This record gives sequence, C-alpha cells and structure tokens, in this order.
Amino acid sequence: MSGQDLLGKKLSRRTVIKAAAAAGALQLTGPFIISARGEQPVKIGLDNPLTGTYAAVGKNELIGCQLAIEQINAKGGIVGRPVELIVEDSTSGDAGTAVQKARKLIERDHVNFLLGNVNSALALAMADVSSEKKVLHVVPGGHTDAVTGATCHWNVFRICNTTQMEANAVTPSLIKNAGKKWYYITPDYAFGHTLQAGLEKACAKAGGTKLGADLTPLGTTDFSSYLIKAQAAKPDVIIFLTQGDDMVNALKQAVQFGLDKRFHLAGAQQELEPLEGLPPEARIGTWVFEWYWNQPNVPHVKEFVAAIKKKTGRVPTARTWFGFASTWSCALGANSAKSLEAVKIAKAMQGMKLPPEVALMPDTPYFRAGQNQLIPNLYVGHAQAKGPAGPDDLFHVDQVVKGPDIAGTLEESGCKMTWPA
Amino acid sequence: MTQLILFNVFNGLVVGAFYALMALGLSLILNLSGVINFAHGGFLALGAYLAYTLMPYTGFWGALVVAPVLTAVIGLAIERVLIRPLYGRDPLYSLLLTFGLAYVLEDGARFIWGAQSVPYPIPASLTTPLSTEFFFLTGYRLFMVALVAVAVLGLFFILNRTRLGIRIRAGTLDLETVSVLGVNVRVLRNLNFGLGIYLAGLAGVLAAGMLGLQPTIGTSLIMPSFVAIIVGGLGSLPGTLLGGLLIGVASGLTTVFLPSATEAVIYVMMGLVLLVRPRGLLGEEGRTQ
Repeated sequence: MSGQDLLGKKLSRRTVIKAAAAAGALQLTGPFIISARGEQPVKIGLDNPLTGTYAAVGKNELIGCQLAIEQINAKGGIVGRPVELIVEDSTSGDAGTAVQKARKLIERDHVNFLLGNVNSALALAMADVSSEKKVLHVVPGGHTDAVTGATCHWNVFRICNTTQMEANAVTPSLIKNAGKKWYYITPDYAFGHTLQAGLEKACAKAGGTKLGADLTPLGTTDFSSYLIKAQAAKPDVIIFLTQGDDMVNALKQAVQFGLDKRFHLAGAQQELEPLEGLPPEARIGTWVFEWYWNQPNVPHVKEFVAAIKKKTGRVPTARTWFGFASTWSCALGANSAKSLEAVKIAKAMQGMKLPPEVALMPDTPYFRAGQNQLIPNLYVGHAQAKGPAGPDDLFHVDQVVKGPDIAGTLEESGCKMTWPA
Repeated sequence: MTQLILFNVFNGLVVGAFYALMALGLSLILNLSGVINFAHGGFLALGAYLAYTLMPYTGFWGALVVAPVLTAVIGLAIERVLIRPLYGRDPLYSLLLTFGLAYVLEDGARFIWGAQSVPYPIPASLTTPLSTEFFFLTGYRLFMVALVAVAVLGLFFILNRTRLGIRIRAGTLDLETVSVLGVNVRVLRNLNFGLGIYLAGLAGVLAAGMLGLQPTIGTSLIMPSFVAIIVGGLGSLPGTLLGGLLIGVASGLTTVFLPSATEAVIYVMMGLVLLVRPRGLLGEEGRTQ
C-alpha cells in the first residue's frame, strides 16, 4: 500500500460542518408488513412512532393492535373478510414524515382504516389527511383537546382521553395530596400546551394558583436548569407534564437533586413505561392512569393480561390497550354498519358502546356522539416503588373516576362536526 | 436572580464536561484519521448498556472500569474490519459507513435491551445532595465532573508524555513523515480509534446515571459534541474542551431567560463563531480552507 493510499484525503472544516448538518437529519424509515392472508383482506394502516422518544409507547400500541387483529380474524374478520395490519414508522416528532406515511398508506396501500398517532401534533396533521381522503381514522393515544375539539372531524375517533379530561380527573387529588401552589414543567408542543391549560383551568376552579411554568423542547435530556428555576419559585408541587423518556429524565434528575424531600413531585398523565424505566426511589407522586393492568374485579382483564404476557413477556400498559381498543373499534364499527364505507361506519360509531371484552374497565365506555371521543374510566392514584402484585405493579389506584363526570359538555369541547353531503 | 444564574453556570459546566468528553473522542479520531465518526453516540449507548448488563455482577464501580474498556475493544475490532479499508478513499465513504453504523448500534441496542428506558442504579453514596441550599451539587454530579477532569488530564498526559501520544500528535500534523520514519500507521490509527471510543464508552457509563438509559441516549448528545468541535476549533483538543464547556454554560444560562431557546442557542453560537472566527476559537490557521 503506498503512502498516499494510507493517508487518504484531508478533511476540510466545511466537510465537518456539512456532516454535522447531516447528523441533524438522522431519521429512520422502513415500512414492514405484519401479516397477509386470504384474498382481498381489509387493511388497517398504523402510522405511529417506532423510533425516537415515543418508540417504547408506540411499540406497545402496535402490540395491542396485533393482538386485536388476531382476535378479530379468529372471530370472522371485518364484514366477513380477513384483516391485515400495515405498519409505518411516523417518527416521534416529525409531522412531515407522519403525513407522508399517512398518504402512502391511503393512496398506495388503499387502507380502509388509519390509526395513529402517539404525538398529538402528528395526530392532528394526520387527521387533516384522513378527513381530506375520507378514510375512517382512530387516534389511539394522542391527547391534545383539538383532535376531538376545535378541529374535530366526522371521520376521526379517539380512544385516549382529552388533556382536559385528564386534568379534571386528577386535579382534586393533586390539591388534596400536594397543595395549591403549582409550578409546571411542560413539553413544548400541542399536548403539553393543552394539558397545562386544562390543569390551570381546573386548578383555578379549585382555588389553586400557578407560580410559573417552563416549556421544555421534546427530547430534552437535561432538566436540571428547569428544576433549579422551579424550586426557586417555592411551589407546593412541581407538576411534570413531560412524557416518555423525557418523563424519566425529568423525574430521575429531580429525585437526584433531593427535590422530592422539599416539594411534592406529581403531574397529570402518567404511564407504566416511564415508571418501569425509573429507579425505585423516583417512582413517586399523584397521577392519573388511563388504563391499568391490575384490576382484579373487572371481567376479561386477566385474559387480556395473559395474552399480552404470552406475546411479550410483560404486562400490558395503557398504550397496549389503546392499540387494542382502536383496532377493535374499527371492526365493531364496520361490522355494525355492515359496510366498509367510512361515512356509514362513522354514523354507526356515534354513541357506540365498547363490549366488556374490549372495554376492560368497570363501566361501559362509549364514543360520545357529535364529538367521536371515547368516554372511559380514569384511574387516579400514586406511583409506588414496588407493589403487592409483583414487580410490574408500580401504580396504586386510589380512585376510579367515571368519564361522564369529568368529560365536560359537548359544547365545552368546541367540536362542531360537519358531515359530507 | 444571581443565585439562579450561578446555579445554571455550574449546571452548564456539568453538561459541558459531558459534551467535551464526547467531543474529545470525536476530535482525536477526526484529527488523525480524517474520519467523522457518526457512530460515536452509538458507542456511548453501547458503553452504557454494557455497564447496565455488567452491574449485577461487578457493581457500579466494576462496571465503570470494565465497560469503557470493553467498548474500546469493540471499537478496535470495528476499526480493523470496517473502517481501515476506507482510509485511502474519499472521506465520504467512512462518513457513510459510520452513519450506517450509528443506526446498526442504535437498533442493535433496541433489539437486545428493548426500546424502553431501563432503570440504571447508581451507588447510594453518590445519590444524595451535599446540602439543601446547594442541592444542585449532588455527589454524582461532582463525581462526574471530577472523573471527566481526570479523564481529560489522563488524555493530555498520554498525548504529551507517552510514545503513543507523541506519535498520535505527530501523525495529526504530518502522517506521511511519521509513516516514513518507520511508525506503523495502521496500528497507530487503530489504537487512536480505540482511545476515542474509550472516552465515548466512559461518557456512556456516566450519562446513564443522570439521564434515562434508552437506545437513543447517544443521539441527543452527539450534535452538541460536533458543535463543540466547530466552536472550539477543528484540530485543537484544548479548543474542543473549551467548546464543550462553553456551549454547556451558554445553554444553561439561556434557560434562565428564554427556556425554549436552550437548544437553539448552541447552534446560534456555532453560527456566530463561524461568521466572526471561522477557524474556531482555538483552531489553527491553515486548516480552514
């Protein structure tokens, strides 16, 4: 090998800068098809995060969808035809990619149903596409109010709660357990904005006040500077509205700073995924869960937990249930309309109740007519380092809240639905 | 207010020390071999996950010693098999290779350890804040800064006092002459790459104690590290160190006044440095074509 070959070419500063710019564009794409059997299957397209901050929760929704598909096919499919799931990675925060994947699913794969997204902003962007293309769309786990509020569409249904519903459910317990002066650590996008607004409203109604708030970019790893600001305001409680890995980072650092000994650390929406990623001493605070696997007296929950455990070796989370209920809602709607036409299905789903084997909660959840929002039970309680039901029992339900009590009225939701002529 | 600013300056130093540790490894490899190692974040994650896996057997301290070395060994093997054949070619080839490698490492971690964060215990002796007034001075953070300082001092000792280090520095200036003088350049590049990856592994073991450990843990740290190199000046290791600390403090300070710009500010700094002093703060003249 000659000297010249050994040495190669020198790099210029410009190349390094260009390369650094390219690093910012790290995005992964890769569609893959889960199952395909029988002729002319009914297609459900899932456009949800598989990479980035929401990879873990997105994966759990996917597993729920897969279990539902198996069950639906075993029970005769949708309008007598087998069902297949087509999965696309929407990324965790890039609306452009999510929209592009939604268009691909609708235009090229001709899906009959569209599912997604974990990220509220991406869910809103996808809803614009699905309503333009008149495809029935179920949002499993994007919480911002607008999805079934100001920008509601006749074809867009949602399983998870609105942020206002979560805020209404958890506020009384927060005031009682933690105090009236609140400081917010809020993720800087649609979900965080509306959740904070919802809590401010509910908190003010209950006589509480807001001492301050910081907006943190999605994917923030170091929360210490926000925590330093929050403690300087001397609140009763620091409210964490971050989600996913951001929640893990924020709580872990707060506990390392010993803030849990000086303030209450709590929030609204909490999930099993971040609690599992936290060290035991950081599993603290009052929160609301949207579904919990440990419901000893609710029918069919045990079977569901066993089926998911068989698939993954772990207990289902609220996300698994979101995916499961979303996929089943498509099947129930189409089978009751006896049609695959989106308008007929959407009409059949107005006020539709979920049967107990899909609902998996004490009361009967239903899609509120004129808003397409599921009105389920919510579970208010506190995180625990280790529960009596095993290593996965990281949340203790103190109170099961009834959806209709905290959902507000249809008028308050701001949804004015217009149907196609 | 002054108190708040002081807090944030210290915190910026902690975070900056981190960026510096990453950036020094990147810089070492870049200077001698001309390889922009996009997979550096992947190696960081690998170091963290190796420590996580070793911990039940070796405890935190054992993992702290062993995991970075294991990461470096994997780095040595990857350099030998994948990167060495590309040295003679356009830098784009190695750039694309490490770009792909970054994905392989991230998805590999996702495949083996799962997409979800895993709990990563640190010794109880390090978890407590030193005082309630200076609560932000936790044992772990001080320990991290101290260890980064030791690592940086060790690196500069190696570079200035050992035969290997002197050869690395000489090779950075003129690899052809070093090769003519009878130094085995392949071995030199291999060891240098291993040294860089060792620093990434060490950064990973430390980062996982402060951040959540998930496959993307490296991705969020690699961009600021590139910025640290550009701000500090390409080719200058002290510059890289300074660059890392500077952007850490800058983003810490920004949090006080405009929290939503915390991430943007480091890129603004990079832009300003490029406009006013394109070769970087401590960059050498002549590498600024």
